[in-house]
Amino acid sequence: MAVNEEALMWVEKYRPKTLENVVDQHDIVESLKAFMRNPKVMPHLMFAGIPGTGKTTTALCIAHELFGMQNWRNFTLELNASDERGIDTVRERVKDFSRYSRGAFGDVPFALIMLDECDQMTGPAQTALRRIMETSSRTSRFILICNQSSKIIEPIQSRCAIFRFSRLDRVAMIEHLKEIAKKENVNISAEAVERIVDYAEGDLRHAINALQTAAAYKEGAPVDEKVVSQIIGEASPKQVQLMLNKAINGDFMEARRVMYDIIGTYGFTGAEIIRQIQKELFKISYIPPEQKADLSNILGEYDYRLTQGANSDLQLSALLAQFSKVGKVLGESS
Amino acid sequence: MKNSLWVEKYRPTIIKDVIGNEEAKTLFVEWLENKRPTRKAVLLYGPPGVGKTTLVNAAANEYKFRIIEMNASDTRSEKAVTRIADPATSFTGLDKFSSEIKGNMLFMDEVDGIAGNEDRGGVNAIIKIIENTRVPIIMAANDCDLEKLRSLKKLCLLIRFQQTRIPLIILALKKICEQEHIKYEFEALENIATKSQGDVRSAINDLQGLSEEGKTLTEQDTLALGLRNKDISMDDTLQGYFASKNLTEAVILLNSSNVEYDDLLMAISDNIPRRYADPFKLAEAYDYLSQADVFRGRVGVENWHLLKYVYNNLAQAAAVDPESYKSFEFISPPIRVITLFWTKNKRTLLANICTKIGAQCHISKYEAKMIFIPYLRLMLQQKKKAPALIEWLKLTPEEVTFLASLKMF
Repeated sequence: MAVNEEALMWVEKYRPKTLENVVDQHDIVESLKAFMRNPKVMPHLMFAGIPGTGKTTTALCIAHELFGMQNWRNFTLELNASDERGIDTVRERVKDFSRYSRGAFGDVPFALIMLDECDQMTGPAQTALRRIMETSSRTSRFILICNQSSKIIEPIQSRCAIFRFSRLDRVAMIEHLKEIAKKENVNISAEAVERIVDYAEGDLRHAINALQTAAAYKEGAPVDEKVVSQIIGEASPKQVQLMLNKAINGDFMEARRVMYDIIGTYGFTGAEIIRQIQKELFKISYIPPEQKADLSNILGEYDYRLTQGANSDLQLSALLAQFSKVGKVLGESS
Repeated sequence: MKNSLWVEKYRPTIIKDVIGNEEAKTLFVEWLENKRPTRKAVLLYGPPGVGKTTLVNAAANEYKFRIIEMNASDTRSEKAVTRIADPATSFTGLDKFSSEIKGNMLFMDEVDGIAGNEDRGGVNAIIKIIENTRVPIIMAANDCDLEKLRSLKKLCLLIRFQQTRIPLIILALKKICEQEHIKYEFEALENIATKSQGDVRSAINDLQGLSEEGKTLTEQDTLALGLRNKDISMDDTLQGYFASKNLTEAVILLNSSNVEYDDLLMAISDNIPRRYADPFKLAEAYDYLSQADVFRGRVGVENWHLLKYVYNNLAQAAAVDPESYKSFEFISPPIRVITLFWTKNKRTLLANICTKIGAQCHISKYEAKMIFIPYLRLMLQQKKKAPALIEWLKLTPEEVTFLASLKMF
């Protein structure tokens, strides 16, 4: 495993540098290697899959292999669609980039443009992107990265070779974490590693961050399952849990206060809060399964209303009121 | 004459009897007598109830004009304006030969009420008519600062009306009392006049409402008069809304309020938990609010006809449990506004930190927020390794302090 010695976050330090080392995506790697042997035939690429499965890493590896470790930055434009709001910025930067980097490198007759989180782009922005892809196709190749390819408009999909990144295998993740632990001289129990991997739900970056935090906590002492549980507890969405508990236990005003606190500090949208609630709802142990199913349906209804309505705070408040109601039903029946 | 409105019964029929606004009256008469021939039209503007319409009627009466009137209750699209105003303004009238009537005079009341949509082209039609008219055109408005009236104002002589002075109103009330044989305490009339805030019409209406035949109108009788609010404020709207005894009452109240519906929606959402303590009632009321908001979303910027469903749902939320109403103190200003104001600094710091993480680790700000911030907070607590990490991410001391105090979402 090649190591980026400078980087201090392990996620970056142990990010694979060559396609060989990408974790657990063998089929994809094999197909991509064929393009590497003859870059002239490489089409636009689209990488789809859940977070933390190696999409960005694979894209970076392609850049490394095409242009070499020394030069890749000069021939690669990294754009984050959800940060660079607005297609105009994207268009300007792509235009500038393809103008200045026209010089081909070795056998590679194009520059590489990596566009992250494409499924966050609006329909009109995607249509504009399609035009950009067409007009710059002589000088550039795009690697589009997204979570769901279904959210990308058909014309773009049909212009790309689509690669679907599957959830990482549990064993492969465990092996990878153990390898990092060995290199960092972290003494960690097998159970602790498994606990991390289970919590990370197939997101390798999440797992590596948890590992690094646990190691930092113990400062050289062995890392056991207890420490990992503690770390996970600290890093889990406590405020969201608090909000739900308050609502269910009938303290609506306090639940709403916490909600505004989260929105204010983190700047989450209504949809992002709903996603958090979804995750946490099923972890609440004292709600029986039937009520969880009911609440899940209510959640779905309000998730939908959120997309139709004008005012996400109001919809979230209304949702919390529903939780209070279900909480009261539970209280009366027990 | 019990059943006639005093405002009509005692409306002056000659200019001299119109009270207050002497300067405006003089200007208007001079214009009508063609001493100021520079403008074909005149725009009278000022608060309601100070005598704009009365002055026009009195002047028409004195100078023998026939008034052709259009007001807000008529639609004033281009077609409608042209249909009524064209004949009125182009013929000086056959009546010239047959009677004392000098001719027509076009009076458009409440021109500031010409709405953008239904009255499409209305302002332009009026401008055309002013350019071609042969008869005097008079317009009246409460608010002449409106953008849509800008081109119209250029063609008009502007005459400003002010609130009628209180002593003049008291005098007018006194006269009416004498004619109606009503005994009164002077303080009562003074109270009515003061509370009208210079609106003669409302003062006369109040007088009629409070006085009873054969009884003396006392100061005590007038104390119940609230300040006449020209706009129903947010607080009054909420007060009336939450106290509504049934659906109809809530609908009527919402329709009479001038509060912006987006503000209202937020204010009701902020306050409704204080109205319904019972979780079942609260959930039900909030469900109506939620549907009101969904319809608000569908209204967007053009489907205004859907607005009534917003209001209907809001009214439903008010009428979930009328019996349980107790008055309570309102939360204001809006929670959202206050929260976002006080936390702005936090959000900016967090966004900056996430950008720095993103730059080093090839991830978006959102991913940085979701799977890096939770752990970075904890890593920085380890004093030995923290400094190198801080340096690598290029975090400022302020950002480090912020991360240390940051609560997990």
